[in-house]
Amino acid sequence: MNPALRAQLLVGTAIVSAVALVGIYLAAGGSSYEPAQVRDPCQQRPWSNPQGLGELANQFSSSALDGAACQLGVSREELAQALATPEGRERFTERYGIDEEELARAVRAGLLRAIEDAEEAGALSPLIAGPLRSTVQQIPLDQAIDLINNARTIFGGVQGFLGPAEDFLEELLP
Amino acid sequence: MADAAPRPRAAALALAVGLVLADSSIVVLALPDIYRDLETSVAGVTWVLVSFNLVMALAAVPAALLARRVGPGRTAAVGLAVFAGAGLACGVAQDLSTLILARCVQGLGGAAAVTAALELLPATVGSERRATEIWAAAGVTGAALGPAAGGILTELVSWQSIFLIQVPVALAAAVPILAVAKHEAATGILQTELRRTGRPHFLANLALAMVSASIAAALFLLVLLLIEGWRLTPIGAALVVTVMPLAAVLGSRIGPLVPSAKARAAAGAIFVSGGLAGLAYLPKAEVALTVPPQVLIGIGLSLVLSALTETALSGRAPQAIHGGWTISARHAGVVIGLLALTPIFTADIAEQRRDAIDAGTAVILDSRVNPLAKIELAQRLGDQLEGEEGKVPVIDPAFEPLPEDPEERAEVVGLREELQDQLDRGATHAFSPSFLLGALLGLLALLPIGLSRRVDL
Repeated sequence: MNPALRAQLLVGTAIVSAVALVGIYLAAGGSSYEPAQVRDPCQQRPWSNPQGLGELANQFSSSALDGAACQLGVSREELAQALATPEGRERFTERYGIDEEELARAVRAGLLRAIEDAEEAGALSPLIAGPLRSTVQQIPLDQAIDLINNARTIFGGVQGFLGPAEDFLEELLP
Repeated sequence: MADAAPRPRAAALALAVGLVLADSSIVVLALPDIYRDLETSVAGVTWVLVSFNLVMALAAVPAALLARRVGPGRTAAVGLAVFAGAGLACGVAQDLSTLILARCVQGLGGAAAVTAALELLPATVGSERRATEIWAAAGVTGAALGPAAGGILTELVSWQSIFLIQVPVALAAAVPILAVAKHEAATGILQTELRRTGRPHFLANLALAMVSASIAAALFLLVLLLIEGWRLTPIGAALVVTVMPLAAVLGSRIGPLVPSAKARAAAGAIFVSGGLAGLAYLPKAEVALTVPPQVLIGIGLSLVLSALTETALSGRAPQAIHGGWTISARHAGVVIGLLALTPIFTADIAEQRRDAIDAGTAVILDSRVNPLAKIELAQRLGDQLEGEEGKVPVIDPAFEPLPEDPEERAEVVGLREELQDQLDRGATHAFSPSFLLGALLGLLALLPIGLSRRVDL
């Protein structure tokens, strides 16, 4: 083989190898291999058909976080990380330059949105939603965060409050 | 002329060149350990690499002039002694400033040894062309083997051992050269004639700088991806990046089959760029997927570095000065590559880390795990992330102990895998822009290669 042909063959092999490698990796999903994008918290998150208190509480917490995050202009996930621990909460308020009262207002707004979402989805009876709204509007930040972190207590609390009317509660909750 | 046997002296000179040029990359796999031990930042620890390469780039040509003035034997011997002494200082350094300072001194000694070696080699092996080939091959071998050797030493002993082991090796390489140095001192006769210095081959050296920036990106970023992103051990990462020197051996076999240095240089630059682009578009966080890109980079670096070095030295005298220019170009390229890529990379990894953690949190929030378990998990995960601020976190401890209930256990294991997948995606994606920039630098090297009228030997 003459030297010129060898030179062309070498350069050609380099081009084909490089293009083939990149093409195969792109075809295998190389351009989309990145973390999933989180949802905009201001957009309504559809409620599925929750089965029992656990799932209902999950969806309620999620809606409440969405509402609070939307109010603060952050992602639901970032707010959830912040609310998980007191230290996280402190770092969060420092980072965004907000005080505890602003955070409390946002968390209460989130809880109100969750009640509304639950009501609209038919997951919460208006009989329970009304009193819950009044309660949520007055509770302090720590309790509001507790409710988001463990929404089950809302429904469990209602259940406890209703006491003997448990059968009635079963009808109200899907 | 000194009486030392040519063969041991040629081997010693090749060893000296390989050792010094390996030093520009040998520390790459130790960077994460140095980063943790000396409690610095990614940007700070980069200077352990940058300082050495910067001094090599600045000192190579003056060192070559010195070699011609005081004698290459003496310059090489003293250079190796300084390199060894500074290596000892690096090995015992307790803080980043001392380590960086010692690395600068190592660069000075290294520049003197490498350029003087090129002046000594023609007389030792009897042919200027053969001397250039040995010198270039020793440099490519050293640069390619450096990361793997550094990784193995870091894991088996410590990062300090990388520097300490260089002390006896450098001194051993200096022994056969001492005879030449003594001869120069006794007779005052220099090894080579003092000839007028010709102009350096600008385009070949420019291309060398660009390709070196690209190769530095490949080595530095791949190692960080493996250790910091995918959490491999240094020895594991060393084994993975051994693919590159192995492929470089293959490249060195292909090179002689193609006489055109221009074609070898162009093909090499394309191979390197293609490999880097492949690393930028990894479809999964799997070690096996780094092998094909590494093969391309290894073959490419062998072809392009040797072709451009030979071209830059071909027909030019004195060799040491032109060798100094190639060393200067290569190391300046490494410095430019590291300095250009580090800020992009550190900003990207911080952003991707946040995105990955958010995506992982979304997975937990949307999961069907018991809300109480979810809260506890979120809290443990938060503590874990807090403890590893600025790094890609290890999440397994946050999921221990696993719930006893089989259904809940399966759910939590699924969550852990999903979260790990998001972190892997974040870590891998964080490196993409830097790998792409490295690929672009490699492709840009085609311009000076293509513009050069006489790149063929």
